[in-house]
Amino acid sequence: MFVPVVYVKGQYNHLIARTLQDLGVESRLLPSTTTIEQLHAMGADGLLMGGGPQRVRTMSDLTEELAAAARLIKSVDIPLLCICVTHQLLATVYGGRTDAAGKPEFGPVEVSVMDEGRILERLKPSFTAWESHNDEVVLPPPGFSVLASSEGCKVQAMAHEKLDLFGVQFHPEVSHTSRGAEVFRNFLRAVSK
Amino acid sequence: MSAQVQGFHPASFLSAQTAQLRDSLSGKRAIAAISGGIDSTIAAFLAKQALGDSLTPVLIDTGFMRLDEPESVKAALSRPPLNLRVRLVKASGRFLSSVRDETTAEEKRRKFRETFYQVLRDEAQRDGCEYVVQGTIAPDWIETQGGIKTQHNVLAQVGIDPLATYGFKIIEPLADLYKDQVRSLGKHIELPLELADRQPFPGPGLLVRCIGSATKAKLQMLKAVTRIVERKLAPMHSDQYFAAVIENRYVEGPLAKSIREVSGLALALPPGELHVDVFQDRVTGVKGDERSYGMLVGVRLQEDSRETYGWLPDKLRILQSRIVEKFAETTRVAFLVKEKKGGHPLSVLVRAVSTRDFMTAAVTPLPWKTLKDISVEVLKTTNVSKVFYDITPKPPATIEFE
Repeated sequence: MFVPVVYVKGQYNHLIARTLQDLGVESRLLPSTTTIEQLHAMGADGLLMGGGPQRVRTMSDLTEELAAAARLIKSVDIPLLCICVTHQLLATVYGGRTDAAGKPEFGPVEVSVMDEGRILERLKPSFTAWESHNDEVVLPPPGFSVLASSEGCKVQAMAHEKLDLFGVQFHPEVSHTSRGAEVFRNFLRAVSK
Repeated sequence: MSAQVQGFHPASFLSAQTAQLRDSLSGKRAIAAISGGIDSTIAAFLAKQALGDSLTPVLIDTGFMRLDEPESVKAALSRPPLNLRVRLVKASGRFLSSVRDETTAEEKRRKFRETFYQVLRDEAQRDGCEYVVQGTIAPDWIETQGGIKTQHNVLAQVGIDPLATYGFKIIEPLADLYKDQVRSLGKHIELPLELADRQPFPGPGLLVRCIGSATKAKLQMLKAVTRIVERKLAPMHSDQYFAAVIENRYVEGPLAKSIREVSGLALALPPGELHVDVFQDRVTGVKGDERSYGMLVGVRLQEDSRETYGWLPDKLRILQSRIVEKFAETTRVAFLVKEKKGGHPLSVLVRAVSTRDFMTAAVTPLPWKTLKDISVEVLKTTNVSKVFYDITPKPPATIEFE
């Protein structure tokens, strides 16, 4: 199985590839200008997108890097898991809204699961995840269900089950999110179905 | 610390990298830049396998290493299984004068990097070496490229061409690995534990633990404090632990008062029971994948409350997150353990964290008694006036202070 990671200069993007490799999956970093045709040609079975320092507000004022990532999100037809800033981008591309967080979160945060969906399978009722964000999804996009929340952030996880699109605000790829590997295993199940 | 991981195989990594190094370095001479740390030691080991006697391991005494460190590293690397004949280059005067006028973290780090590669250039020219092998690992280039902090051993990844700038090419056999993976390589080649489990030490060393300007007097005090803190914390099962020093100069204005109110609410104490100092010299952190170079907040409770809360790391964790999440200009929070009247206006910051790969870190819940023991000894044997414990995870702090 080959699941590459789109690199948008986040601190943990490379760790996502390592986590996937640790789970026995082939992975490496790709630039956000990669197209869906190129992904097909490489034989990608699923796609990961990581966090980054950029701001997401409207579709017209994205950095070049995130504008390219947004084009890829629109055209993707393989299962996609977006983390942190690209979770916010996924929401915005599909008609939701991202803004400054009422309460930014850094370090350990308790995440409560309302609906496991496929991506948070077996993670009810709650788990401790590590966060690092100043912004958050303030309005989930139509068609997506909100799966989990924390005290300071309403959309910690969301999914469009039919389109195989998943987004998480927390960082499942860092070792301190002790159940993070389960999120990746759940995603890999969606990829291999 | 995790042992073997499913996707990483030390034996196949080592043989593939050795073959690749043989290929690219065959018939050439190279320098291996070493520090005594596990990363540069393993990189030098790989290069030695490929190059044999055409490799010169070079250890630079920057003046920012710990007491007796350069000599003991040189001796340790000369023993089996490494048998590296290390050239020790004494350059402490050069380094100290290059950072003399700098007071901010990034300027200090950039000046250090510049001097580091100039010294290597001189050594490479002397030996006619075209290549420098270094132990850069993933967090080094990720943090430098992401603008979190300038690591001293990253050039090409931030657009600096080493050949054009310094006259040599750079080889980084470990650039995709994390610390725990490098340690598993060390175990595989049966490195003695003193090297394989050696605690990480930053390239710029005590320079970045001397917060703000790095004067000779401050450095000397830090060396003495470091010896005490490392000895006391060695048995505590922390993945990384050390001391830093900061001058007792505080920011004026209403910020401290607002922080004191928020702190009182977080700890359920009347504000009169707390004192808050906001230090002038800034410290490094990472918030939302961005560098945060902000304020260090020192919180002091009255002695009886301090005794209670010192045993309650979860409460201190709430105190820390309330402050850093509420006040965007703050980066880290430290909790006063002990102070003495008089003494030099200098505070010691004790840091101890658990981490697998140095990308995230949790504060080690050290027993309050241990922290008090350390503080008593530090205040008795050195001339500093306060000892704090840093209670900030990464993020929003980084592990080191600068």
